[in-house]
Amino acid sequence: MVSSNDVQKLFLQAVASRRILSKQVAAKIWYKCVEAVQAVDETLEIEYRENKWDEWVNRLNAALEPLAIEFAHVFDEATGKDMYALVNRKSDEIAQLASDYTAGEIMYFRAILEQIMLAPNESYCVSSLAALREVNHVQTTMTKSQAQHVLGSFVARGWLLKSPKGRYSLSTRTILELQPYLRSTYPDEVLECTICFEMVTSGYACFTPACKLRLHNHCYKNHRRMRSDCPTCKVEWGEDDSKLLRVGEQAFKDGQEKGRRVRSVEADEDGDGEEDEEQSQSQSREPSEPSQSQTKVKKEKTTKGKGKGKKKVAESDEDEEMEEDGETPPPRTQGKRKARS
Amino acid sequence: MNVDGEGDLERKANDLVRLALFTENKHMPLRRDEISKKVMGSKSRRFGEVLARAQQILSNTFGMQLVELQTRPAEEEKDKKEDKAQEKNKDKNAPGIKKKAPTGTKSYILRSVLDPQLIKLATVPDDDLLRLEKGEFDADPELNAEDEYPVPEPTGAIIAWERGDQLQSIGLLYVVLSFILVHGRSISDNDLRTLLRRLRLTANTQVPRDARASLQHYTLDQFLSTAIRQGYLDRQRIGEAKGAQKKRGRASATQGGNNDDAVILEWRWGPRAMAEVGEQDIARFVADFMVERTRGDVDSEDDEGGNAHEDPETKKMRDGMLKGIGKAAGGNLAELL
Repeated sequence: MVSSNDVQKLFLQAVASRRILSKQVAAKIWYKCVEAVQAVDETLEIEYRENKWDEWVNRLNAALEPLAIEFAHVFDEATGKDMYALVNRKSDEIAQLASDYTAGEIMYFRAILEQIMLAPNESYCVSSLAALREVNHVQTTMTKSQAQHVLGSFVARGWLLKSPKGRYSLSTRTILELQPYLRSTYPDEVLECTICFEMVTSGYACFTPACKLRLHNHCYKNHRRMRSDCPTCKVEWGEDDSKLLRVGEQAFKDGQEKGRRVRSVEADEDGDGEEDEEQSQSQSREPSEPSQSQTKVKKEKTTKGKGKGKKKVAESDEDEEMEEDGETPPPRTQGKRKARS
Repeated sequence: MNVDGEGDLERKANDLVRLALFTENKHMPLRRDEISKKVMGSKSRRFGEVLARAQQILSNTFGMQLVELQTRPAEEEKDKKEDKAQEKNKDKNAPGIKKKAPTGTKSYILRSVLDPQLIKLATVPDDDLLRLEKGEFDADPELNAEDEYPVPEPTGAIIAWERGDQLQSIGLLYVVLSFILVHGRSISDNDLRTLLRRLRLTANTQVPRDARASLQHYTLDQFLSTAIRQGYLDRQRIGEAKGAQKKRGRASATQGGNNDDAVILEWRWGPRAMAEVGEQDIARFVADFMVERTRGDVDSEDDEGGNAHEDPETKKMRDGMLKGIGKAAGGNLAELL
């Protein structure tokens, strides 16, 4: 016995079995669900219009909303495809169960997330070596070889991406599901695309020093079709892409992982992106935070961070341009840090 | 106050639905005490109402239901007549039938309640969908290049069962369930190990895991332990003095030495297997396999209504096989409990 409502039920089960799927596949599945229900009971009259996709999604979300679940979508940064997934919208105690991972593995995942978000040069990625080294900074008995498997598992389950060069970055699914968490935990590091306002971890930036433009790859391509100047500062880009700065793995610079970035929680006025310091050293890149001049001052005041309060990025890099006396030793990681005087 | 009560009921029901969905994701049954702690809080009295409302939401939104797992007391030397009467009377609340009535375990699993015909249609490959999914799959260089993380090729079925977590373990589990079933619903540890050895599985053999598992080292024994923990298998000691359980004639047959004092380990189906897999479907699985092997793929390609398109001879063989399996199990294959 079936009813027309079974289309929705089967559709949600089908989506759940795939974790994340493109809009094309999702739309096709919708059609197939209608077909299947119809096949079981030909007398049913089921409403279906191919171009009513958005209404269908709204209807699903109306049913899912009281459960704090959403059939949400975001554009895949690599392919530009519109991707859909069922995501949890409330990080309560109940949701924390949803993982197949142990507490130690979850901590490890959070640590990797952090290294990705804090990566210098807006590269939003971390090398395999650095990812494995993170095990040492997490309170777990995981060995490096276990960590290797766990990382593999994160990739296999679609939480992280691993590039051909072996660097880990955020998957579409992670951005989709954890965006609220990332925005609230890393407000200074989250970049927004100037055109679509969604979070961007892979794309382009304008080369003009003060310009804050950031674009997804696909948003950039779309813009380029019509114009060749910067939407924000109007500078003429010309035909050549290569002058533009990049966001994501292509911004990765050799040696950028010499130190280790930490989100130290300080009792300080405001947490500015101290990473800007490093950026300005390596490629005179315009920092995403306005008050660069303040950061140096802040550095002197920085205490060994164990306090509560706003978040701050502590640098522990060896770097000529840092004229302050000494750097802040990152709060948790006394082991491997090279002391600087 | 009434309104508030209603709102509260609705909130709790929604929380229970979330809890059910997320717990299912971990492949563990949802225990009543967890529900009490995480959803009900202090208001445990209203559990029945909250559960009922949650069931409505689960059914209307996802086509799923929470099912309470049942235990069946160990089957003793059976009186066949009584047994048949038992099976026919599926009402577990029937009074007076003390020994065999299944009892609730206060543990729940999620189960699909879609029409079986619909489920069948949803698991069969569709050319159209397959073309689309395979196209995306082939075009994604990361999926193809990396042998490290093999992603299953799409089948084009509406429900992408090929993406199921740890299908290898499920396959092995169903084989073990089959052994137990045709051996009379229980099998001694020795006998089971012997059978598994034929499949080249010994206690420490690595059971393959797909890349999603964070723990890659997984032996047969670990697999069996996990299956017990998840409720798919049940292992009991039979024949101890303190236990009220009598020894089964069959089971002790292979025990070397003194039958009367021997303590043997026996494997049975766990409550989760009874609720999620069901004896009838495993019987069909065994019959499919045996028929296919015997016929040598004459009737291969068991598509949509496989059985319906069979030639009469094969159908006869299959029916005979099912009967035989039923007999071997001890009669009356149960549907999903």
